[in-house]
Amino acid sequence: MSAKALFTLPPELAIDTDVARRIIAEFIRGQLRQAGFERALVGLSGGIDSAVVACLTAEAIGPERLLCVLMPYRTSSPASRADAEEVVGRLGCAGTLVDVSPMVDGYFGAAIAGVGGGEASAVRRGNLMARMRMAVLYDHSVTWGGLVVGTGNKTETLIGYTTLFGDSASAFNPIGDLYKTQVRQLAVAIGVPERIITKAPSADLWPGQTDEGEVGFSYAEIDRLLYWMVDKRRSDEELAAMGFEPGFVARVTRMVATSEFKRQVPPIAKIGPRTAGIDYLYPRRRPGSARRSGG
Amino acid sequence: MQPLRIALAQIAPRLGELEANLARHRELLAEARAGGADLVVFPELGLTGYLLQDLAAEVAMRIDDPRLTRLAAGTAGCSAVVGFVEESADHRLFIAAALLEDGEVRHVHRKVFLPTYGLFDERRFFAAGTVLRAVPSRLGVGIGLAVCEDFWHLAVPQLLALDGAQILVNISSSPGRDVAAVNEVGLGTATSWRTMMRTYAQLTTSFVVFCNRVGVDESVTFWGGSEVIAPTGEARFSAPLHDEGLYTVDVDLAELRRERIALPLLRDERPEMVLRQLERIVLERAGLAPDSTAEPGAGPGLDVAPEPADARGRRTA
Repeated sequence: MSAKALFTLPPELAIDTDVARRIIAEFIRGQLRQAGFERALVGLSGGIDSAVVACLTAEAIGPERLLCVLMPYRTSSPASRADAEEVVGRLGCAGTLVDVSPMVDGYFGAAIAGVGGGEASAVRRGNLMARMRMAVLYDHSVTWGGLVVGTGNKTETLIGYTTLFGDSASAFNPIGDLYKTQVRQLAVAIGVPERIITKAPSADLWPGQTDEGEVGFSYAEIDRLLYWMVDKRRSDEELAAMGFEPGFVARVTRMVATSEFKRQVPPIAKIGPRTAGIDYLYPRRRPGSARRSGG
Repeated sequence: MQPLRIALAQIAPRLGELEANLARHRELLAEARAGGADLVVFPELGLTGYLLQDLAAEVAMRIDDPRLTRLAAGTAGCSAVVGFVEESADHRLFIAAALLEDGEVRHVHRKVFLPTYGLFDERRFFAAGTVLRAVPSRLGVGIGLAVCEDFWHLAVPQLLALDGAQILVNISSSPGRDVAAVNEVGLGTATSWRTMMRTYAQLTTSFVVFCNRVGVDESVTFWGGSEVIAPTGEARFSAPLHDEGLYTVDVDLAELRRERIALPLLRDERPEMVLRQLERIVLERAGLAPDSTAEPGAGPGLDVAPEPADARGRRTA
């Protein structure tokens, strides 16, 4: 199976998938060991990001230690659910399904008159779905006894195409420094079903929605721009000289700037002598912090 | 001549767990000695882990700390290099490399260059060493110790070699990054280090021994890839990336003599000339002497005069 046949990969974004998989496997094992956990769980949507994370996690710790949680809403695409079920079947890991419709509909139902529940915008509905899924995942992390693995990629993190405390919430994230096109490369290397790799990426908040349709440009284009802008520190003038359309550059620059807050922990008002995150700085896992001694 | 047996302890230290790391060092040291190792090298901060932040003070040891003394006691008849946080008498914390030999702490090198940029924040938590010197060793050759970033500064290998080092030992906690497919060994960091170490070995006509840790601290994964490079610049041994292990390699010290006679670069170094130029440059950069190489109109300490640039940032003249 050739990567080129399945998607467009700008050459500067090509990665050595063997090395990336090794680093990610070490990372996943290291995070769990430091926290004193042996198990992990992933919210599986049927899309490529969560499929890749599930495969990487199974590769790192074994499928028997992985739980995939499928959390469709009543309007979610049935094909997505079928794709997610195929991943669970192929990996041979535990899987469970929680329908989030009653939770979401219950909130937006008539009971909350005054906040416009009946005619809630797609953004509000989408954000609540993402946050309900987060709540379900974290509840399962207790019953499963595992850590929640994040599935956000670098592209959506940089442009802010995420819900704060929703899909961005996790114990650790193995693919957060990989652009969407690089996640696709990993997907091919790790054997994610081809249908999942080739279908149009979608937040699946309403029928027919696609990321690229909503944002207005392809992942190949935006990944290439973000790579030169963020990783390679090229100025607007340099980007224009490279052939990037200035309007496109301006729009993406604005998306990155306006979502800066989503990538950081909330600031704490500095009042006392030592303040978490400012001048009280410890590794998040240190001696005595593991819930039990790790392997 | 009897070969020199070097053991590279490419380990994954546990962050902040001094006792566990000490035990692992003692265990591997004993294993290496049983295998006939003359020199056993452990990575930077191998006794403490790397991303310590405010934990640094909690795992710091004085040079006469009984825990270090006890570790040194395991080096009868061999040499070892270990990495730890050293607390000085005036309570500064250093990233240190100790040469342990015949049961004693023979020498301590305090990391001279502390990276504080990009993903690094060392200067916030540590003091920088101010001394760089080679030390004689029981191996019959001079040893020059350096820690990770020290090797990203050209003067370090040169000064150590000029001071008598024939084996340059660099201990590292180098975080792996850049997995672009075009990299020589799949990892940009590894590609850069390999280029540097071969160059240093050849230019100083010395053995370069590099021990880099593996494992994970927080977000970063350390890539291992420990190496022994001959004075010809050729790799004698390259450990795998990311795999923990005790790797043993035999080198022939006669190779060093042959290379230094065939290619007398070190003989032809001109430290007195270098020193004069450095003194001049230091004074000029401080604005304490007229800059003999500056363009007319350049400000004090600057070689280049301000000039109008065109819109693209290019100099017009």
